[in-house]
Amino acid sequence: MQRVAQSSVSTTVASGYGSCKGGRASGSATAASEVMVYEQFPAGLRVLVVDDDITCLRIIEQMLHRCRYHVTTCSEATVALNLLRERKGCFDVVLSDVHMPDMDGYKLLELVGLEMDLPVIMMSADGRTSAVMKGIRHGACDYLIKPIREEELKNLWQHVVRKRWNENKELEHSGSLEENDRHKRGNDDSEHASSANEGTEGVLKTQRKRGNAKDEDDGELENDDPSASKKPRVVWSVELHQQFVSAVNQLGLDKAVPKRILELMNVPGLTRENVASHLQKFRLYLKRLSGVAQQQGGVSNTICGPVDPNVKLGSLGRFDVQALAASGQIPPQTLAALHAELLGRPTGNLVPAMDQPALLQALLQGPKHIAVENGVAFGQSLIKCQSNVSKHFQQSKLSSAEDVSSAYGAWPSNHVGTVGPSNNILGLNAQNSNMLMDILQQQQRQQQQEPQQQSMLPEPSCIINVQPSCLVVPSQSSASLQAGNTPASVSQNCSFNGSSVIDYSLLSTQTNNSSLNVGQFPNRGLNSTGVLSGYSGPVSISSSVSSCSVNPDNSMGRQGQCLTVTFSAGRQMPGLVPNMHDIQGSYAVKTGETLDQGPLRNLGFVGKGTCIPSRFAIDEFESPMSNLGSGKFYLENNRVKQEPNVDFMDNTKVGIPILHQLSSNDVTSVFTE
Amino acid sequence: MNRVLALLFHQGVLDEQFLQLQQLQDESSPNFVSEVVNIYFHESEKLLKNLRGLLTEREFSDYKKMGIHLNQFMGSSSSIGAKRVRNVCVAFRAASEQNNRAGCLRALELLEHEYCYLKNKLHELFQIEQQRVLAAGVRYPMQR
Repeated sequence: MQRVAQSSVSTTVASGYGSCKGGRASGSATAASEVMVYEQFPAGLRVLVVDDDITCLRIIEQMLHRCRYHVTTCSEATVALNLLRERKGCFDVVLSDVHMPDMDGYKLLELVGLEMDLPVIMMSADGRTSAVMKGIRHGACDYLIKPIREEELKNLWQHVVRKRWNENKELEHSGSLEENDRHKRGNDDSEHASSANEGTEGVLKTQRKRGNAKDEDDGELENDDPSASKKPRVVWSVELHQQFVSAVNQLGLDKAVPKRILELMNVPGLTRENVASHLQKFRLYLKRLSGVAQQQGGVSNTICGPVDPNVKLGSLGRFDVQALAASGQIPPQTLAALHAELLGRPTGNLVPAMDQPALLQALLQGPKHIAVENGVAFGQSLIKCQSNVSKHFQQSKLSSAEDVSSAYGAWPSNHVGTVGPSNNILGLNAQNSNMLMDILQQQQRQQQQEPQQQSMLPEPSCIINVQPSCLVVPSQSSASLQAGNTPASVSQNCSFNGSSVIDYSLLSTQTNNSSLNVGQFPNRGLNSTGVLSGYSGPVSISSSVSSCSVNPDNSMGRQGQCLTVTFSAGRQMPGLVPNMHDIQGSYAVKTGETLDQGPLRNLGFVGKGTCIPSRFAIDEFESPMSNLGSGKFYLENNRVKQEPNVDFMDNTKVGIPILHQLSSNDVTSVFTE
Repeated sequence: MNRVLALLFHQGVLDEQFLQLQQLQDESSPNFVSEVVNIYFHESEKLLKNLRGLLTEREFSDYKKMGIHLNQFMGSSSSIGAKRVRNVCVAFRAASEQNNRAGCLRALELLEHEYCYLKNKLHELFQIEQQRVLAAGVRYPMQR
């Protein structure tokens, strides 16, 4: 498959384009239809409540009414099951008591999970760990302890969203499964998923094993239900997570063991298990960040699953930002400024970035102008980076680099020119990008090219997804725009690295990665650069990101990966033309190493990165919703390590520049809207 | 009415969950609280009867079944904010898990006592409320 895809891509941009577009459109359409069902989202959510305790049933019914959900109550599990079977698709979520005379709540949970794959939330007065654990093992999305409070029910919708999102992910992944298998070793799906997990990192692997040893059932169910591995809940608040991240940073990612982290965090009530599972998630996120796209549905599920609902949906947005802030890089408010700054810096590496405030103002002011500036900056930065790269790398490549840069330049300009997100414009951009890609591809090896191309392809289509292997996903409505593809730029870098392995010493890290990668995923290896421009479409913006997957080929030994992330957020008002854009540059990084070598930085990065995936997810999911006018945002973080790129990047940390982009609005806000 | 309520809170008979219940009462269900509480009484009496039956009728009680009943009792009691009843249920369940028959019997006695107390007080509360509503109803026509 890959080869075919590649060839088509490489041969003709147009064809690649078309195909991508088609795929994308359909994907986005389904996602949209699914989500659009609820115009005022949580309201109208169809909930089936099953409880033999009529008192509770009545109370919960009333509470759900107050939340404006559509409630159906049932006092017998068997009746409920029949109802569910007869009216498939008529319920979004099931709230079930654990102990019922006619059928055990766990049994109901299992059946529902098997037959209709609806999110099931268990509730019981029995809040003992064993009971809760049992519910989770059986696949409960959540376990509420009676008395149930209205606030808990208000959040019910998140399980529906999460579930759908995971499903979408799976769908997208499914396409890539074949490829992955081929790359990896051709295993069956489940194996594949697991191998992916393990492959990523040795550390990860051990972690997983540890986890499994602790709780076998957990491991078994993991693939079935994302939330299966949830432990008795510790809410990882933003503050707690920050503490966690700083502890991990202090220890070094590879050296961070739950016990030490726990000691450093010094939070009463937190257990080693809590920390261990969070650490695991953290690592998974990291991995995911880099290789998200590539991974398969299974993996994604596991990743998603473990995450606390709160963490995921609710606080992620903030998470990222805060994490960034925590890292000392930027205050949330200045994020925008940072973006700008970052962008600017790359262009003028040495030159101090512009004043943040100024940038902010600029951003705030004319969206159009800003966009333009960003675009330019972006382009420049890209160019510059590339040139640098090229220098470092092969000279021969320089020419290509230039081309690229030019292409970029073009892109921005187009970008600027276009006020509205018109498809045509997009197309142009895409084309440019494609051009770039082509060039790059030429330079790069074909293999490498593939990923890039793939990534590129998506662009034309509205959305940004790209590679088959990967999923990425933020897609937006067709009407809306497309994000730029930074991926291309990124990919280029990546490609360089990969290809350059030989060429450059810098890449050493990368090379290392690649070596690592072989066993692992591409994710690690990579780096990416992302760029993006946001566009705003009337509705929403999409961000694009792509992750690239890479490395399919072992022959090369390299794996690339890229992640890229980019996004733009924009909030757009329906009427307004342009919007904001964020641009971002991203940089390559090598996460792979991170685990081992690059200790801390990554962590920070990771944390942030982590967020990204989730956001993506959100995006996808929400994109339809975004139409409503909400803006989305994304963060990006990329760090670079020792690479030459460093120059570009910033200063702050040693070798790692980071870009962040934040969006002013959290995804969550979108949801709420 | 507020005085009675305050007393019940002070005694730990009720907790804030009962206030939540009151807040759930709105135009769409004007008698929500008394409706729910009546359902609760009805269910609880069945449960109490079952529990007593399980403990006294046979020499070897079915502790597991008892645990399930107690769980439900706990769930409904906590849902309406009957704190003391719930606490006794917890103790009762603990005793049943240890197959402590004597402990269960004591807990059952206590549970019945608490339940009766709660029931009486809530009835009292509702009566006061009803009178107040009636009084208010009478007053309106007069004002006109």
